[in-house]
Amino acid sequence: MITLPNECLFEILNNLKGYRKSLFSCLLTNRQWCRTAVPILWNDLDISTNSKLVRTCLLVLNAEERAQLIQFNIIFTNDSKPLFEYVSYATTIKINSDYGIKNWLSNESNCLSHCSLVNVIQAIKCSLIVMILRTNEKLKSLSIYGKQGNLSTRILDKFKNMISLDFKELKTLIVALHNNSTLTELNLSV
Amino acid sequence: MDNGTSNSASENETITLKSCDGIEFHIDARIANRYTLLNNWNGGESACIPNVNGKVLEKVLEWCEHHINDPQLNCGDDDSRRRNTIIEEWDENFLSCDQDMLFEIILAANYLEIKPLLDLGCKTVANMMKSKSPEEIRSAFNIDNDYTPEEEEQFRKENEWAEDY
Repeated sequence: MITLPNECLFEILNNLKGYRKSLFSCLLTNRQWCRTAVPILWNDLDISTNSKLVRTCLLVLNAEERAQLIQFNIIFTNDSKPLFEYVSYATTIKINSDYGIKNWLSNESNCLSHCSLVNVIQAIKCSLIVMILRTNEKLKSLSIYGKQGNLSTRILDKFKNMISLDFKELKTLIVALHNNSTLTELNLSV
Repeated sequence: MDNGTSNSASENETITLKSCDGIEFHIDARIANRYTLLNNWNGGESACIPNVNGKVLEKVLEWCEHHINDPQLNCGDDDSRRRNTIIEEWDENFLSCDQDMLFEIILAANYLEIKPLLDLGCKTVANMMKSKSPEEIRSAFNIDNDYTPEEEEQFRKENEWAEDY
């Protein structure tokens, strides 16, 4: 039986872009296939509604980012470090609703009774954005629902080459237009 | 060759290709011109193709001959080429060979830089993997599972979100 070199395997698996279930099967076959399939699977991320995706993304948080969540009783065990820096492969990221985070919270048996759900969700979202800023170097398109507070400017500073941006805050848009010279698409659905 | 350049081959010109196991093929020189089939071809009447055996080279050349009048693809058009998942009937029949041959064709197309044939082969293999389980893919492609059980379980957990789309 012939073993295909990595470049050919990449060409093959790249045809399965968008066929996430198939890519998932491929990455479970063996290590070579995994190394090739993971960057393709994680290229385009929609964190809006998928609570399992939220779970894996939260595993990527470092100690500092996790520390922001301790006050909400969200505690991660030390052995939960992921096998890849998954989020670093993304060129498109969408967080267009809180549904995924909300669902993740209700699946985990965290004790949240003493704090408001809105604050917890906001804190998780902020930690995720900080993690994206830290791990990702090649984001081309970003869409975030709701307020990002003081993170907006940091996002725009870091991803100067972004070509598509979808923010809901007017202030952010002004900063975006001021700082970015590559933007070709701007969604103004305020 | 009259003028010694490789860009002006006419319809009747032929050159001789020799596979790595010494089998000779007489082909339309336009094929050699069109694909960078022969990096080391100096415009003479024959050339050797190391790394590709006669059986595989015959298949590759059969494909090239059938597609000799296809419009040239724009090299920068990678994504639009890939998105087109329709495979022509002739190509489908051409590639319904045994799997080893299919892989050999992919390797040869990669080596000889015949992009459209490489894409076609890769698309065909990708289609074979759609809606298969990891076990089915392993047995179809004869892949050894080199994961530890713990590692496999962790990869499953970290990526199972992909099943929810």
